[in-house]
Amino acid sequence: MAASVSLQLEFSGGAELLFGGVKKHHVTLPFQSDACDIRHLLVWIKQNLLQERPELFIQGDSVRPGILVLINDADWELMGELTYKLQDEDSITFISTLHGG
Amino acid sequence: MEVATRMRQNRHTLMLLARGCASLSLATEARPESNCGCAELLTGGGGGTWMFWRNLNTMPVCCNSCLEKNAVLKRPKTGHSLCKECFFTAFEEEVHQTIMSGQLFQRGETVGIGASGGKDSTVLAHVLKVLNERHDYGLALLLLSVDEGITGYRDDSLETVKRNQQQYDLPLKIVSYEELYGWTMDDIVKQVGLKNNCTFCGVFRRQALDRGAMILGVDKICTGHNADDIAETVLMNVLRGDIARLRRCTAVATGSEGAIPRCKPLKYAYEKEIVLYAYFKKLDYFSTECVYSPNAYRGHARAFLKDLEALRPSTILDIIHSGEHLSVKEDVRMPVQGNCSRCGYISSQALCKACVLLEGLNRGLPKLGIGKHQKLHHKLLAQEPLTEQERRKLKVLDL
Amino acid sequence: MCRAQEEEDERYSEAVRRRPELGLEQKCMKCKERSAVLIIRIGDAFCKDCFKEYFVHKFRAMLGKKRLIYPGEKVLLALSGGPASSSMFQQVQEGLSRDAPKKLRFVPGLVHIDEGAVRRQSLKEREKMVAEMESVLKMSGFPYQIIALEEVGRYRAVIQVFNLPSSVVQWVSKDIPDMADDYKAAVDGFLGHHTGVENAESGSRTCVQTKLAELSIEEPEPAASTGTFCLPSAQSTQALKQLFDSVRSLTAKEELLHTLRSHLLVHTARAQGYSKLMLGDSCTRLAVKFLTNISLGRGAFLAMDTGFSDRRYGDVVLVRPMREYSLKEISFYNQMFLVPTVFSPALNSKPSEKGSIHQLTETFINKLQSDFPSTVSTVYRTSEKLNVASSVEGPESVSAARCLFCLCPLDTRVEKASAFHATLISEHLSQRKSLDLPEAAVKKCCAESEERRCCKKPAARGSTTSRADERLNLLDLLCYGCRVTTKDLTTLDHLPHYVRSEADHRTHRTAMKKEIQEFLLHENADLEYVLKT
Repeated sequence: MAASVSLQLEFSGGAELLFGGVKKHHVTLPFQSDACDIRHLLVWIKQNLLQERPELFIQGDSVRPGILVLINDADWELMGELTYKLQDEDSITFISTLHGG
Repeated sequence: MEVATRMRQNRHTLMLLARGCASLSLATEARPESNCGCAELLTGGGGGTWMFWRNLNTMPVCCNSCLEKNAVLKRPKTGHSLCKECFFTAFEEEVHQTIMSGQLFQRGETVGIGASGGKDSTVLAHVLKVLNERHDYGLALLLLSVDEGITGYRDDSLETVKRNQQQYDLPLKIVSYEELYGWTMDDIVKQVGLKNNCTFCGVFRRQALDRGAMILGVDKICTGHNADDIAETVLMNVLRGDIARLRRCTAVATGSEGAIPRCKPLKYAYEKEIVLYAYFKKLDYFSTECVYSPNAYRGHARAFLKDLEALRPSTILDIIHSGEHLSVKEDVRMPVQGNCSRCGYISSQALCKACVLLEGLNRGLPKLGIGKHQKLHHKLLAQEPLTEQERRKLKVLDL
Repeated sequence: MCRAQEEEDERYSEAVRRRPELGLEQKCMKCKERSAVLIIRIGDAFCKDCFKEYFVHKFRAMLGKKRLIYPGEKVLLALSGGPASSSMFQQVQEGLSRDAPKKLRFVPGLVHIDEGAVRRQSLKEREKMVAEMESVLKMSGFPYQIIALEEVGRYRAVIQVFNLPSSVVQWVSKDIPDMADDYKAAVDGFLGHHTGVENAESGSRTCVQTKLAELSIEEPEPAASTGTFCLPSAQSTQALKQLFDSVRSLTAKEELLHTLRSHLLVHTARAQGYSKLMLGDSCTRLAVKFLTNISLGRGAFLAMDTGFSDRRYGDVVLVRPMREYSLKEISFYNQMFLVPTVFSPALNSKPSEKGSIHQLTETFINKLQSDFPSTVSTVYRTSEKLNVASSVEGPESVSAARCLFCLCPLDTRVEKASAFHATLISEHLSQRKSLDLPEAAVKKCCAESEERRCCKKPAARGSTTSRADERLNLLDLLCYGCRVTTKDLTTLDHLPHYVRSEADHRTHRTAMKKEIQEFLLHENADLEYVLKT
């Protein structure tokens, strides 16, 4: 089992604006893979990546309603949402639906 | 990588076992979810198990429609899980049904698609183009854009629209505030500040689309309003007590007298599905917040709606159902629609909102169109001068 | 797209700006003498005496203006122990007392429903709360009853709740326009005789009473006019808990509780000859309910769910006399004039549940109200402008089907261009086509079998298909909003018996009607007549 988790993070639909306008981030989390779920990832993102107005991205311990989350290109609602255990090389996409129309 | 895959497979098998056992003892009902290869279990299987297996996650969930491929999304409207192809089919077919049941178009019509470069209008343009060919609607489609003159926002999004024009091979017409009104939004904001600028923008845009459509001889305009937008408007109109708008805001098609009819083919499409449709189809859309401050009050309603959706995803359509079934007392006074005596556009007042706003801008009295100053309209029409007190009331407040 | 389209938000920012600075020594705006103790609305500051006068006057004015409650009429007050209904109770007591000017002239009764079982109170807590409630009710000298919510499970044949004879509905629709005249006649009659209830039978009230007698319940309730509360059996408590445990969301639990409570209240009123049921919904409460119900898909029924009077039950009319009081006024009044209230805990939520649409809406409205002080009154005014769709209340729809749960006219028979159909289409497109089978299977089964009732047999209920059938059949009998609620029930097994048997009954009736219709297709016979005989 990998000692750390490498992830491909992508922010789009306007969510990238909270991350300095950068859409793709390749990150390595300092967690054991079996102890790391999306909930942990969100905390880590908030502490390490989020550049401004965290309330526009995080609400409570989840993402702000209206931000879609895809795990390996599938709706996180199919994958247990916050409880999804991250696997090495997973790709997680956050799309804001709250911008523009 | 390989390890991960094998692990998933193992868990998947475990899962099937778990489901098999559990469904023997637990009560019925077909949940929309199912795992691949256990289609038979689905029909007999079980209600009570879904909470249980959801916790074990990471298992690919099987498409409820084809029962073959892995699902990529859970539909907020029904709770079903669909694979990419079945989702595309269902999404497009639903828009088709909205068009057919609402009799939105007639063969041979020229239809202008209000295109902002954002997700909704991009998906709308794409789907209409597909459906027009697939079902042979016999429509002439074209893109209609409004250039509000907002540097760093609209100029960028118009680039997206221009790309869309090429991608979809549709004619494009751009009308600008500057050519229609003589003012860009940038100029307007310079005069009115960031307080009521959205009022100007909204009112002007509505007319601008109509004027552009008229120039092009368009029979109908369709806009990208989605289910979330409509539900939000219902909530807004309740909160501000606007009974006239409350009654008509859920209509799929509006306006026949004077103005060019408008319709909303995405009326029943969830924002979530529109965004995912654009994402999976890799459609090219623009998503940046307007540089001029977003509307705070509507922001409350939007956040509330999203919270509701998180609790019960069907809420958005439930609200639209509510809106469609409101019945207003007969003795409630409704504004009578007439025409603006200056520009001829439909209006419930002697002067339409756009003309009042414009008059205010041109006279340096920007607050003229904000709030209730109808009494002053006749003065404007008769070109009478305003008193000093009236003028003072209409200037920008120094806050 | 800018979110601001067609917007005009000025009013709101204006309202905030205009909020007055609270002066410490503000005078009462009415008597202009005593110093104010509370501000009701922006700018309206009242002293204690003027506030009381205003509060008391509003109650009687409301009832007087609406001319709905007849002198001598039996009116049942539903009391939860909460601030609004307690305040209503106090107003009725005061209004009936001898020295009150504009004396109220109806005959009150009181009912409290103990919902401890679903509010997760222990038996001890329930007993304590009931005792507290009882001591408050007893003091009034009015007949009262305290009933446990478990009672709904006892009903086997309370089909009356759902199965109003069509004559009732016809009577209601025919006589309503003459109401004002009736009222006057009734008042005159009452004042002429001056002797009380027995002699109040003048004008159409005679008609009301006889009609009521005609449809009175076949099994008379054992309860006397004042019933002492007896704790329900552990078994019935268990059954009720099971029902609520089978509900997947707190939102649906709230709705289910509301439905059952309404049934029980109406049944109680009906069984004891009350023709009005007074509910203590405040303006604040109704504003929240208005927005909540929009979110629940109950838009067609807003006028009934939040209006002053609600005639959905036909012979028992619900009345909401507190609907012009804000919760703030009520709380101040209760505090100043020592109106006793009894606290009951909120509906229990498991930690896994994310709260309800009801709670979310309440929080939202309260937050908005503090930022924009006109929020509640604006929503209230909006509700005043709505009515019950004429298509569902007119005489032509007297026999229109009503929702099995809430008794509102079904709003699901709608045209294709609707949210309801859009959902059906999505459901259809989102599952394997063969899942449509249950319906086809039913038809096949009926066609092939000699025995026509084959698929409705209770014996078949054990199998999955018949469960799916039962669900489909039940959904068919519900309005849009109650359908949404029912989707959150994991099983129908725990629904009260009277609901399920009435559902069976109706489904069966529809099936029979269909058969007869097919049979009589070429004859011009009166269908209803055939069905009745």
